[in-house]
Amino acid sequence: MSGGQKKRNFQIEAFKHKVVVDPKYADKTWKILEHAIHEIYNHNASGLSFEELYRNAYNMVLHKFGEKLYSGLVSTMTFHLQAMSKSIEAAQGASFLDELNMKWSDHNKALQMIRDILMYMDRTFIPSTHKTPVHELGLNLWRDNVIHSSKIQPRLLNTLLDLIHRERTGEVINRGLMRNIIKMLMDLGSSVYQEDFEKPFLEVSANFYRAESQEFIECSDCGTYLNKAERRLNEEIERVSHYLDPMSEPKITSVVEKEMIANHMLRLVHMENSGLVNMLLDDKFEDLGRMYSLFRRVPNGLSTIRDEMTSHIRDSGKELVTDPEKSKNPVEFVDALLEKRDKYDKIICFAFNNDKAFQNALSSSFEYFINLNPRSPEYISLFVDDKLRQGLKGVKEEEIEVILDKVMILFRYLQEKDVFEKYYKQHLAKRLLSGKTISDDAERSLIVKLKTECGYQFTSKLEGMFTDMKTSQDTMQGFYAACGAELVNCPTLVVQVLTTGSWPTQSSNTCNLPAELSALCEKFRSYYLGTHTGRKLSWQTNMGTADLRATFGNGQKYELNVSTHQMCVLMLFNNTDSLTYRDIEQATEIPSSDLKRCLQSLACVKGKNVLRKEPMSKDIGEDDVFSVNDKFTSKLRKVKIGTVVAQKESEPEKLETRQRVEEDRKPQIEAAIVRIMKARRRLEHNNIIAEVTKQLQPRFLANPGEIKKRIESLIERDFLERDNTDRRFYRYLA
Amino acid sequence: MKKEDTVKLISAEGFEFVIDKKAAMVSQTIRNMLTSPGSFAETEHGEVTFPEINTTILEKICQYFYWSLQYARLFSEAIGKFGIGR
Repeated sequence: MSGGQKKRNFQIEAFKHKVVVDPKYADKTWKILEHAIHEIYNHNASGLSFEELYRNAYNMVLHKFGEKLYSGLVSTMTFHLQAMSKSIEAAQGASFLDELNMKWSDHNKALQMIRDILMYMDRTFIPSTHKTPVHELGLNLWRDNVIHSSKIQPRLLNTLLDLIHRERTGEVINRGLMRNIIKMLMDLGSSVYQEDFEKPFLEVSANFYRAESQEFIECSDCGTYLNKAERRLNEEIERVSHYLDPMSEPKITSVVEKEMIANHMLRLVHMENSGLVNMLLDDKFEDLGRMYSLFRRVPNGLSTIRDEMTSHIRDSGKELVTDPEKSKNPVEFVDALLEKRDKYDKIICFAFNNDKAFQNALSSSFEYFINLNPRSPEYISLFVDDKLRQGLKGVKEEEIEVILDKVMILFRYLQEKDVFEKYYKQHLAKRLLSGKTISDDAERSLIVKLKTECGYQFTSKLEGMFTDMKTSQDTMQGFYAACGAELVNCPTLVVQVLTTGSWPTQSSNTCNLPAELSALCEKFRSYYLGTHTGRKLSWQTNMGTADLRATFGNGQKYELNVSTHQMCVLMLFNNTDSLTYRDIEQATEIPSSDLKRCLQSLACVKGKNVLRKEPMSKDIGEDDVFSVNDKFTSKLRKVKIGTVVAQKESEPEKLETRQRVEEDRKPQIEAAIVRIMKARRRLEHNNIIAEVTKQLQPRFLANPGEIKKRIESLIERDFLERDNTDRRFYRYLA
Repeated sequence: MKKEDTVKLISAEGFEFVIDKKAAMVSQTIRNMLTSPGSFAETEHGEVTFPEINTTILEKICQYFYWSLQYARLFSEAIGKFGIGR
C-alpha cells in the first residue's frame, strides 16, 4: 500500500484518522501480534484477520517500534520451538522422525504466515538495520532450538545413519520421510547438511564398505566381486537420487570407489584362476567390460589393467614365437599370430570401449614379440605366398581384402621390413614364373597396400616384375607372328624376359639343353636382340618348366610337367636306356647339388618315379644307374613332378639370405649418413647414430656398430672428416 | 464474473468493491493475504476489510489494479499516464 510519488499537482497526505502515539500503544499492539503468533502455532489462525495484523505490524514499524517487534518475534518463536523440541524428544523409537517431520512442516507453515503478516517489517526495518529477515530467522531458530538441541542432534544423526545402514543390508525403509528430513537439513543451509549429516555419513559409509569389501574379496572370485561392487555403486547413486542432496553423489561414489575398488585393485587383477589374465584367456567380455568401467573411475585403474594385459600379451606372444613346435610351419605360425591379434582386438572393441591407449599397448606388445623371432618376416611372406597360391581360392573379393589388410597389420609390426621385402620378392618371382597365383587382382592389391605403407621405392621392383610378365606375353606374340611359319614342327616355346634389377638375383647355372631346344632358343634370342638393341640375354635354366609327352614301355601315355633340368635329364633317355649319375652329370653339365635334387624327385618319390634307380636308396651316389621306369603308372593323365615351390629355407640358405640383407643395408646406411651430414654439416657422433636410426626405422633397425663402421668407411673415401677441435664431431666434405 | 474468481474489498465506510482476484493480486500485500497458508479470516470468506482506507481512495486503488493489468506488459514509454487528477 505504498504509493508511487511524483511531485505534481497533488500530494498524498498522511492518514486522516488519529494515530495516537501513547506509550502503551507499542505494548498494546505487540500484545495483539503476540497473541496472533501463539494462535498460529496452535493451529488456530482461522479467527484472525490478516488485514488487522498486517496493519498493526505496519504501524509498529512506522512509529519506530520495529526493534520491539523484532525481539518480540524472536522470543515468541523461540518459546514455541522449545515446546516443539520437547515433544520431539519425547517421541519413542520409530515415531521420532515422524514427529520431527510433522513439527517441521508445522513450523514452516507458521513461519510463512508470520512472514506474510510482518512483510512490511521485512521490507523496510530489517534491511536498514541489517537484521536477519523473518524467513531466515525462522530457519535459524529452528536449527538452534531443535536440530542442535543436545538431546535431538545426536539422536537424529544416529537414526538417519541407522536407517541407511538397514537399507544397505536389504531392508525397505520409508524413503519419503528420509527425503523430507534430508531436505530440511539442506534448507537449513549447506553447512548444516554437511556437518550434521554428510560428513558423518561419508565416514560411516567408508567404514561399512571397507569391511564389506574385505569380506567379499576373501570369498569371491574376481568376476563376482566386480559384480557386487558395481551393484553397490549403483545402489548408492540411486540412493542419492531418491533422498539425498545431488551434490553428495560424487562424494559417496568416490568413497565406494576407493574402498571397494582402489584398495583392492592389484589383488583383483592378479587373482588366481579368475583375475585379468584368466578373463582374457576365456574371452569373458562382460566381466572385462565391467572391470574396465569400474577401474576407469579410480586413479591408475586403467593403467593397472593395461600394464597387466601388456605383460601377458608379451609373455604369451614370446612363448608362441619362440616355441619350436609352433614355428615349424610358417602358415600355422602366422595363422596363430593373426588369431591372437583378432582375439585381443575383439576384447578391446567389446570390453574396453575401443580405448586408444589399449590399442597402442596391444600394438607395442606385438611389435615386441614378433621381432623376437628373426624368421618372422620370412614366415609372413610365406603365409602370403600360400594364400595367393591356393589358400584364397574361391574366396570372395571383400574377404580377400580383409585377410590382406590383417597381414598388413602384422607387417607394420616388423622391424626388419627389408628382410620381408627380400623374401617377398623371391616368393613372388616363383609364383609369377610358375603361373601359380590364383588372382592377379589380389597380388596387385597387396602391392598397393605395401606401397601405401612403405612408399614407392619399396614396391617399384615388385611392380617391375609384373610389367615384365606382361611385356613377355607381348614379346611372345610378336615372336610367333614373325617366325611362326618356320616353327611349325618345333616344340612350343614360352619365354619370360626378366629385367635383371627387378627380379631376385639368382646365380645362373650351366645346363646343356637338348639339341631341338637350343636351336629354338637361339632363334628367339636373335629375334629379341633384333628388336631390342644393346641388351644381353642369359637363360635361367634353373627357373623354367617343361611339359613332356611321354610314352612308357607299358604303352601308357602321360603328359609330364617337369622343371627344365628334369627335362634335360629325361630327354637323354630318348637315346639310351640307362645312364649312370656321372654320365648324366657330364651330358647336362648341371651343378651337382641341383642335379642330385632333380634326380631324387624323378626317381625316389613314390607315385612320381618315372625313373628307376639302382640301388634303390634315397641318396644319389656317383655310380648309381638310372633307367626309365616302364612300369610307371598314375591315376592322372597329367603328372606334375617336382614343381618349384617356395620352401622354408634350409639353414645354409637362411644364412645366405641374411648375409645378402646385411650387404644391402650397408649402402642404405651410408646414403642416410650422407643425407644427414649434407644437411647438418657438423654433427656429434651420438647424434648421427640417433638420426640415422630414426631415418632407417621404417625399413630396419640399424646397428650402432655397423653405423660406426660405415662412418669410418666414408671417412676413408673422403665423404666425411673428423673435426680437428673435437674428436667426437664429424664434418661433411663437399 | 464467477464467485471463485472474485474478491470483495470493503472500505472504511462500508462500501463493497467486488473485483477480480487477478486484479487484487496486483498488490503484493493482498496477494500474500489471499495465498497465505494459514486459514485467515479473509481467505475463508473471500473479503478484505480496510477500516483505515476511505471509499474514494479504495475506488482509485481498484481502478489502478485494472489499469496495471492492462498495461503490465508494455514498455514504460508506451504506458498511458494514470491520471489521478481526473
